Amino acid sequence: MEVIWFVLFAVLLAGYFALEGFDLGVGLLLPLLGRTREGRDRMVAAMAPYVLANEVWLVAVAGTMFGVYPLLEGEVLFKLYPLVVAMLLSWILRDAGLWFRRRLDGFRWRGFWDAMIAFGSLGLSFGWGMAIHAAATGFAGPVVHPVGVMLGAVVTLLFAFHGWTFLAWRAPGVFGASRSGRALAVSGVVAAVPAVGVLVGAMPYLLANSAPAATLNVLSVMVLPFAPIILGAQVWVWRTFRPGKDAVLLPSFF
Amino acid sequence: MDVLELARTQFAVTGSLHFLFVVLTLGLAPLVAIMNTRWAMSGNPLHEAMTRFWGQIYVVNYALGIVTGLVMEFQFGLAWSGLSHYAGDVFGAPLAMETLVAFFLESTFLGLWIFGWGRLPRWAHLACIWLVTLTAYASAFYIMLANSFLQNPVGSVARGDRLELVDFGALLTNKSLVFSFPHVIGAGLFTGAMVLVGASAYQLRRRTEHVEFFTRSLRTGVVAAAIGIFVTTGFGYAQFAGVQEGKFNDNVGAALPLGLMIEFGQLLALVVLFVMLPMIAVLPRWRWTHPLLMLMTPLPFVLAIMGWLAREVGRQPWMIWEKLTVADAMSPGLTSGMVTASLVGFAGVLGLLAVVDYVLIARIVRRGPRDVALGAVPAGESRSPALSY
Repeated sequence: MEVIWFVLFAVLLAGYFALEGFDLGVGLLLPLLGRTREGRDRMVAAMAPYVLANEVWLVAVAGTMFGVYPLLEGEVLFKLYPLVVAMLLSWILRDAGLWFRRRLDGFRWRGFWDAMIAFGSLGLSFGWGMAIHAAATGFAGPVVHPVGVMLGAVVTLLFAFHGWTFLAWRAPGVFGASRSGRALAVSGVVAAVPAVGVLVGAMPYLLANSAPAATLNVLSVMVLPFAPIILGAQVWVWRTFRPGKDAVLLPSFF
Repeated sequence: MDVLELARTQFAVTGSLHFLFVVLTLGLAPLVAIMNTRWAMSGNPLHEAMTRFWGQIYVVNYALGIVTGLVMEFQFGLAWSGLSHYAGDVFGAPLAMETLVAFFLESTFLGLWIFGWGRLPRWAHLACIWLVTLTAYASAFYIMLANSFLQNPVGSVARGDRLELVDFGALLTNKSLVFSFPHVIGAGLFTGAMVLVGASAYQLRRRTEHVEFFTRSLRTGVVAAAIGIFVTTGFGYAQFAGVQEGKFNDNVGAALPLGLMIEFGQLLALVVLFVMLPMIAVLPRWRWTHPLLMLMTPLPFVLAIMGWLAREVGRQPWMIWEKLTVADAMSPGLTSGMVTASLVGFAGVLGLLAVVDYVLIARIVRRGPRDVALGAVPAGESRSPALSY
């Protein structure tokens, strides 16, 4: 049972990197590729239908951590306190930017929230690199470590590349390039490498600190039957919002 | 303030902000789903306009529900690791179920509903908003289940210095849960309905050109408000069967909001059931009633917060009733500096965003059902849904 839940936890965290990675990547590229207001509108329109289905993977990671690794949940988050707070604030501003940017028509209004999307995406991507470094070193050193900062830059570049591949897949030619679904899958796997790395390293520790059998059994009965529905809903999103010219049609809600 | 009070303040501020938006989400979701159903069945443009207008208010409100909820979820680990250390094997399970099943599906289906407009077949699109409603209720159920465990820790035994889960069924039938969950659902419906009433009254008072739109919305709101407040007060009284002994004795911080909620809740119930409901035919026309209806709109929000204050302050000094104190639940090593910095960050950012969100909602109400962004047709695309698979 511990193994099943470790696999589920690993899939959720790696899935978050592979999926939300391209949303954050598109956010990072907003100031670079989206020179005009319409360009940024089209970039956001391309990723908008996926965001709600992607970011929720991290919500599930945190909830699973609480249920399956309760002893680690408090420890990990507390040891990364300033980093977690900064990442949460980045996440909030990114989300607020997406929800608010088109709610008013003003030029400055939308420009401000676009900046918040880029800024929040940068904070989250960088934060992930630092958090992974801290986890890999057993939370021994300071939160801000040179290697962690370097890893933050690496994750940021990976996400930006993944976001660029996503745009080239969803809206072929619109942003200068076309990529196949296979290329997107590969860049997703690459974006998930840092998460998989830390998961492999932490596996023995996580397995040893799983919640007792009684808790895991209840969780299995209550959660696993829904797994096909959850997977089906995700597939439905990808089938509904396929690539093509209509991917960047305006207005989009975000 | 010492570090414990700061940490409590941080949780109270984010929790209250979260619930202000969640309570409206819980109420508007079924109302928008009903409007969408009418539209799907009749094809009437008026029903479409109602779905889009009230749906837009619903999703703009939803944004703040998400971001405040994120902070709440992570705060358990940041400031209250003593809780997960002592009771994580029990308390963590419902939170895992909420995030993994309920909220995961809710967020996915909401994305499909918002962005699948005009793209999904009509009935599939309608199914999305009903699934959003169902999973929103499931979310509320798991959160209430977790909270009820803190109020009345059933189904578990202490082994060593930790709690162990022995009977999950007892958590599901917790006497602290069975009446409080429908109470919250009723309060949500009442809140959403009163927003329909207040916003419609505002437009009718201003002599809107969309008379039929807001007349129907107001009547829908009055009927839903009557159902909502009936359920809320009924299960509110029933809850006293499950309240911990002595919870409100010598605790002014809990007894006062409790008293206010009950007194004003009763008064509102009388007004809704015995004045507004019988007058439902004439309310849209009697313009002198509209300012009064608008003044009533914020009351359900205030009462909802009072209810949470009574429930949560009443639990003091316990995090888990008679098992774990709030002081022991705090993360060991937490300093005032850490909490102060995060409290300023979270309260500042979320507070500002909440104000912006309410201004945006007020603006949607003022502009009326024309040029609603939700479900707008992209330039160069026909209205008919794509029958592509």
